[in-house]
Amino acid sequence: MPDVPVVRVGPLPGAAASSRHRYNPPVQTRACDSDGGCETSIFLCELNELFSGAVRSGGEEAFLQEALELGMRAVGGDRAFLALVEQSTGDLVVVKTAGLGWTPETARLRLSLAKESERGITGHVVMTAKPYRTGDVTGDPYYLPYFRDVLSEIAVPICGTSGQSVGVINVESALSHRFTEEHEHRLVAVAHATAAALRVQGFRARESALIEIGNNLTTTLDIDTLMQKVLTVAADMLRFEDCTVFLADDANEYLVLTASGGSLANRRGETPYRVGEGITGWVAEHGVSVRLAEPQRDPRWKGLCLEFPEEDIGALLAVPIVGRKRVLGVLRVVRRKSPTAWFSNAFSEGEERVLNTIGRQLGAAIENVRSYERLITAERMAAWGELSARAAHMIGNRTFALKGDLNELAYLLSQKPCEEIRDEIQELSHSMARGVERLEEILREFRDFVVATQISLAPCDVNALLRETVEEIFPRRSPVKLTLQLAPDLPLLRCDARKLKRAFGEIIENSLSFQPDGGALEVSTCIMSPEAMLGLGLGQSRQHVAIEFADAGPGIAPDQKERVFQPFHTTRAKGMGLGLSIVKGIVEAHQGTVREIGTQGQGARFVVCLPMEHGTHETDRE
Amino acid sequence: MALILVVDDEDEVRASLKRRLVREGYTVVTADSAEDAANKIRMSEEPFDAVVTDMCMEEADSGLEVLRHAVARDLFTEVIVLTAYGNVSNAVESMRRGAFDYLEKNVPGVDTYEVLVMKVAQALERRRAAIRTVRRLEERAAQQSGSGTA
Repeated sequence: MPDVPVVRVGPLPGAAASSRHRYNPPVQTRACDSDGGCETSIFLCELNELFSGAVRSGGEEAFLQEALELGMRAVGGDRAFLALVEQSTGDLVVVKTAGLGWTPETARLRLSLAKESERGITGHVVMTAKPYRTGDVTGDPYYLPYFRDVLSEIAVPICGTSGQSVGVINVESALSHRFTEEHEHRLVAVAHATAAALRVQGFRARESALIEIGNNLTTTLDIDTLMQKVLTVAADMLRFEDCTVFLADDANEYLVLTASGGSLANRRGETPYRVGEGITGWVAEHGVSVRLAEPQRDPRWKGLCLEFPEEDIGALLAVPIVGRKRVLGVLRVVRRKSPTAWFSNAFSEGEERVLNTIGRQLGAAIENVRSYERLITAERMAAWGELSARAAHMIGNRTFALKGDLNELAYLLSQKPCEEIRDEIQELSHSMARGVERLEEILREFRDFVVATQISLAPCDVNALLRETVEEIFPRRSPVKLTLQLAPDLPLLRCDARKLKRAFGEIIENSLSFQPDGGALEVSTCIMSPEAMLGLGLGQSRQHVAIEFADAGPGIAPDQKERVFQPFHTTRAKGMGLGLSIVKGIVEAHQGTVREIGTQGQGARFVVCLPMEHGTHETDRE
Repeated sequence: MALILVVDDEDEVRASLKRRLVREGYTVVTADSAEDAANKIRMSEEPFDAVVTDMCMEEADSGLEVLRHAVARDLFTEVIVLTAYGNVSNAVESMRRGAFDYLEKNVPGVDTYEVLVMKVAQALERRRAAIRTVRRLEERAAQQSGSGTA
């Protein structure tokens, strides 16, 4: 895309363009007539190449330069420039120059089409969308002198689909009456090629933007992120000053302000419109898009929730966000009033089509996200069912064993005097204490499993956290040899220190339980290399810190590597088998990952990867 | 005295059950899984008089497996199935397949161990009655065949 967004500019209403046209008689001698044919055929070859360049992909910048240089050559000028209309301001901006005498300042020239005094011949051509040619600028009513040595000037418009100018090619010469009608034809041909190239470029941009939205549909599973992506892509494709998304509530009664391109961001969650109320509500009710210039004049206009003051709104385009069965909401874009009277700021039919497409895609995406959320809820409910059943089973067994001890205690007490059965009572007391402890372990696992994903983030030194965890968990006299290899240059990470400690502790305890007769545990930290991240299937967009726990236990069989993280997986008698699934829950709540990458027989290697920068939206979840 | 097999995958539960039944004077053998139980049922010199088994061990219906092995060794071995929480469908199934009774481990306010001891006694009584009946039938059959040949 060019630096300057391209827009169609309508001809000045009532501009009597043709009467102002000057067709100066050609002064050029006809002496080179014999060469004329040859020159023409060279031009045609070059033009042909230019056209084929217009449909080739990429390189718009280079294309515009080539077109301009060809134009200048074809008419025999000394200096040329190509300018495009900037949509937001209505200014004409020089984007390419050729020939002599350009300075950095003049090469970035900007003409305000709103001011008659600044338009010059170039502006005049843009506004009339007709070529203009003069052999002697000194007497020209439109000419503005930017260069001293100019006598002849020719300018042709680059026209958009409906014949309105999107830009201009301007060529000058120090010779008087340099440009002929033939030259004008040639330059018009170059301008056509340029217009075609710009249009192809526009289509390509639109196509890739729609594809991008389409891709986001399948990969984004969170509505807020999706909305933000859609707003960004829409802003790339259409020019608008602001964009707002309203989604219908469950009862389809109110429209909830769900996303904003800017000015309404702090009103998210409000319900300014009932379905059917205002233009926005009308679109939601009828499922039909509305495109209006001066929307304030529309009888449906209510102006209840506006991106900027009512009097500033120049054009409105609102499309339904369509789901399979009903309208899910409204996507609304607005433009300010045009800065210039001649320059219409209305949305075009093409733009309405594009936004409608985005609305439909967004609808599909929202339904996708919602059905995914329903699935997650169903899975969570199923997990809860399983969790409850397991917990009931385990608590039931522990309680049954305790009841057995109580039964025995009552029996012993009924049979013999206390002092004779002191040892037996003591043994029962120990057994009951163990039983109660086991019950408490189950309760702790249950609680930790449930709250694993509820984290509150704060900057935290992971190395210090690991040292603390080891200090608390690792037995003072253990047959397992512990080594810490902590990278000194780790940045602070945003994490929930208490939860991470629980996760690290669980991995360490797990490792110890598999090495009851001695072994080794090496805990190390490092900033991950891109290769290491790729190896673990992590995206390259964020750097990660890796925390590795490598032991000398039996290790984990290849088919168990994933399963050990599932709830209720246990080979230990303790607890409910939620340990490593709690670790996974905690790490994933930090947007990290945990894997087991060891080789069976050579010990287990658990790697926890935590991203180095966090978004801000999850900071205050708890 | 009666020979009883106790099957449960929880150490503490097994120990408690054994202790209570030993107090009654029974000889108690324990197994910690359906497979272990199957082996012990098969290898035991004398068939078990009664088997007390947990329903839910490796599988939700491991108790049915134990029942199958017990009855395969001796048709009159009485099986009592324990359930940790009311899984009535499996309990009913075990009754249908010939278990003596089922018993919920956790019933508020009930000393399950005493209930179990009572049920074991009833089960052993039924086994003795069944065996007596079979003996009588066998003896009568033997007499009839004896008189027939005489």
